Amino acid sequence: MVGKDTEKEAHQKNEDCKLCGIDELLVKNNPKERLCSVQEADFEIFTDPDVEKVSNEFYIKKQTDGLPIIPPTKTRVDKFIKYSDLKPEEIIAILPPKRGKATLEKVAINSVMAGCIPSFAPVVQHTIKAVSQEKFNLPGVNTTTHPIAICTLVNGPISRELAINSGAGCLGPGNIANSTIGRALRLSIINIAGAVPGIGDHATLGSPAKYSYCFAEAEDESPWEPLHVERGYNSDTSTVTVMAAEAPHNVNDHRSTSAEDLLNTLIHTASVAGSNNSHVPGELLLIMGPEHARTVADDGWTKEDTKKYIHENALVPLKLGDRGGRKLDEKWVKNGMVKITRSADDVVLVVAGGPGRHTMISHGFGTSSESVTLPILLKDGTIAKSTDEFRDK
Amino acid sequence: MNVKIMERDVLSPLADTEFNKIVLNPIPDRIGSISLLDNTKSGANIVLETIRGILGYSKVFKARKPAGAPGTGEQIKLAAEADLCILALGDCGSCTTWLILDAIRLEKQGTPTISVCSDIFTPFARELAVSYGAGNLRIVEVEHPLAGKPRESIVNKASKPAAQIKGILNKV
Repeated sequence: MVGKDTEKEAHQKNEDCKLCGIDELLVKNNPKERLCSVQEADFEIFTDPDVEKVSNEFYIKKQTDGLPIIPPTKTRVDKFIKYSDLKPEEIIAILPPKRGKATLEKVAINSVMAGCIPSFAPVVQHTIKAVSQEKFNLPGVNTTTHPIAICTLVNGPISRELAINSGAGCLGPGNIANSTIGRALRLSIINIAGAVPGIGDHATLGSPAKYSYCFAEAEDESPWEPLHVERGYNSDTSTVTVMAAEAPHNVNDHRSTSAEDLLNTLIHTASVAGSNNSHVPGELLLIMGPEHARTVADDGWTKEDTKKYIHENALVPLKLGDRGGRKLDEKWVKNGMVKITRSADDVVLVVAGGPGRHTMISHGFGTSSESVTLPILLKDGTIAKSTDEFRDK
Repeated sequence: MNVKIMERDVLSPLADTEFNKIVLNPIPDRIGSISLLDNTKSGANIVLETIRGILGYSKVFKARKPAGAPGTGEQIKLAAEADLCILALGDCGSCTTWLILDAIRLEKQGTPTISVCSDIFTPFARELAVSYGAGNLRIVEVEHPLAGKPRESIVNKASKPAAQIKGILNKV
């Protein structure tokens, strides 16, 4: 606050006051009619800043996503910091392109701004760590003209503890965890990494998925093992998975009764010339609605069968994938067709959503980024069963 | 009795940055060979060939690297075999990023570089180089856009960075 004492300075003044005995406080004939001659005021009352004013100030400085923010006061930020076993100044990651130091405190500030509640801190902290892994290619993901967003998937008991939506509307509005964890990541990317749209983030058109793109897997609804188990973790280990992914595209199939028919609808929707995958094959995210997953599984298909079938059949004709001479690497081309994934493992298959016969597909960033799954661990390497374990460490 | 009402301060969401200065390699007085590192962006090969033709070097190493990701160790090694590496083309976000970061990798390994970026993306390229401690990285501009343009147009546009590179090599 310009022209006023900071909270810290005011506290310091209290410390400096040596006249706080009752006699001095009751001194008469004080020319300024104050109880204490040293203090500027007898009572200091701190109020929270005005949300609209602070939002506008931050917006003008390009420190928001355009939506109002919660003012990041020290009191609020400290509540976040209490949900971590790191020190406030400890660096979680260096974030490009600006190479900002993502300390716990800075991540907490951006999380408060996003509207997170303090118990989300361990998830946000691990998400920041995940995107900084080399194979994720954050320098490319943050700066590209491609409308790639960062999808955060949470698995395991912490996803349920935080009530992260894995059911109806989980990719849309309405849940504080889904809405603010992804937003905390985006605000950190803007403010710490320096990926300000048009300055450090050069997306030609951007994407609504860049506001927030976070959900949990509906593990209890899935006929298959969840993603974190597939990637080698126990089912009771909580994980965050980050993937560079486009905004999701719907696959509507209300009529297929066999796995093959249903997957063919999905494959047809995914195999398009305009995606990065069509010329630099890479990961493809499939968020399969539980009813679709059940149709496939009831036909006797395992998760591995499903991924393999999609990998082998999701093809784009070379004449479309290589239009204009995109210099496709010959290793991706077979019989005049380009596979949009490099292997069955590039098919990142998870189950989420509510009733209905829909699946969402999200193309990745081609060969230029790979998803990362990290377990949510305490600093000493033990698996956190609950976010409470991070508290006051 | 005086009561003072104060608003709580808000904390800054911006972070300190990591900074390690990179010392660039000087351009040698005599250049026996050059390498052309093509990131496969549309027109990059034409730009590099045009520049090579104008400069007139005969001993040339050609390497290709991904546009939106780092070059592999092999690709960078091949590019580092020459006395000077010319990289093209930074004409989008991620390809500019990895053109500059790969140029810095080459500089760190002892190979002087000149990077070609489109004029739209050059300011970002320079800012990125500053963030990575290489504020004086040699970057030349070509008029944007090149993608989707006919060959003759790209050749014409490439004459400007070629002249700039000639100036750098002749130290004028």
